[in-house]
Amino acid sequence: MVMPRPLRWVLALVLAGGLLLGGAFLLPFSEWLPGGTVGDVPLQQVVNGSTFNQLFPASDPAFRVTMSQEKRGFSEARLKQGDQLIALLAISDTITAPEALAKFEQAREQLKGWPLVEQGPHASALLMADRFQVKVIEQGNSLDAAHRHDVLEEFDLQGLASLATPVLPRS
Amino acid sequence: MGTPVLTRLERLPRRGLTVLSLQGLSLLVPGGWSNVTSAEALIESVIGSNDPTLIAQVRARADLLSRARHEGYGRALSVYDAVNRSQHATAGLRVLAGVSAGVPLLKRMADLTPPGDTLQAVDLGLKVSAELLAFTQVNGLPGDNFADFAAALADYGSEARLRMAALVTFDGLLPLGDQALQRLDGLLGQASASQLRQLPAYGRMASLMPGRGDQAHMGFVRRGVAQWVGWADGLVSQLGLSGQRAVQALETTLGPWQSRMNQLAVFLDAFTDTYAHTGVQAVARRLVERAAAEI
Repeated sequence: MVMPRPLRWVLALVLAGGLLLGGAFLLPFSEWLPGGTVGDVPLQQVVNGSTFNQLFPASDPAFRVTMSQEKRGFSEARLKQGDQLIALLAISDTITAPEALAKFEQAREQLKGWPLVEQGPHASALLMADRFQVKVIEQGNSLDAAHRHDVLEEFDLQGLASLATPVLPRS
Repeated sequence: MGTPVLTRLERLPRRGLTVLSLQGLSLLVPGGWSNVTSAEALIESVIGSNDPTLIAQVRARADLLSRARHEGYGRALSVYDAVNRSQHATAGLRVLAGVSAGVPLLKRMADLTPPGDTLQAVDLGLKVSAELLAFTQVNGLPGDNFADFAAALADYGSEARLRMAALVTFDGLLPLGDQALQRLDGLLGQASASQLRQLPAYGRMASLMPGRGDQAHMGFVRRGVAQWVGWADGLVSQLGLSGQRAVQALETTLGPWQSRMNQLAVFLDAFTDTYAHTGVQAVARRLVERAAAEI
């Protein structure tokens, strides 16, 4: 059977197009498509969570600090008194969340010279070097604002501020 | 990656067999379990505030995070989904094995379908490995050394106690008997790598597992199980779990089963989604904790 020439062209285009679309959707190219990272910020620009780990408050027998989540630009630990979870401690890189910076513009309080805000009745946040957010979120009812500020001071704030040098660590 | 985690949370059933069986089991787990299916309620419980603007901010951040493929939240859910589908398929095979062994004409079929116990052990092993894979997808590798990582895992285990108790009971004690954890390694030893292939979940998880080929993956499953069994054994003795007690607890919500553990196990596998259900809830919680810290 001989196909008319235009039909052959249409068929060829449809096949080629299908192959291209299939390639894009079915093969594991999706890793390179946009949308893979948070806010489409390239991974190299975000400080890795493992660099935050050693800046958390030290664990002691009465108040245990257990690391619980570590991603690029984020690291989180649980603060426990005995078996009771009393707070979530976190350091994050605001490069993927610029909207988080807005609340610090109206900050009235300061801690060691860095802007400090209360977010609702149970969370305190500190902004280091205009980039890194340190947060203590109370779980339960055993850590009032003053205590949360004490916990914030336990972080290695100096070390954290020094991470924000113009030359960003590549890993 | 498809549906955001919190939307999945909101689509979880509020009633039905899955919820009833989890409620039944929660009678044995102190601290209980509440079926969280509202994103707002979850966010509220994490940030301890019902300020609508704060909740909206956390929600928006959580949705952004779960859409980013590199963050692994969506990938963890797809592992749970794969395991869930596989569980239904295994239950079907087990029914087939049971039926065909009893009917003389179908004896040939019985040779084709693997012995129920081995397949069940592989299924449990795969679930334990899925748990480990999903944990690393959601939480990364927390801490700077293995001790930190082990502490993070143990911490997660105590948080997800009901989830772990469900895994031990529904996939271990009920189908394999009270000595399930002691028998597990032996049963996995009898299983061949081809039995791994029979489980649909394996196809989805293979690319995430370390090593190449079925043999290496079987090794990964066995090592994962060996690590987990010690912890699970502690949980069993601490909660005093046993097949008989589990059946009694489940009978309060699911109705009388005349203590037929094996049939109950197949029934649960075939008709409930406890693993994926509690999995979505666990991932959603970790995601919200991160979103709350980042806003």
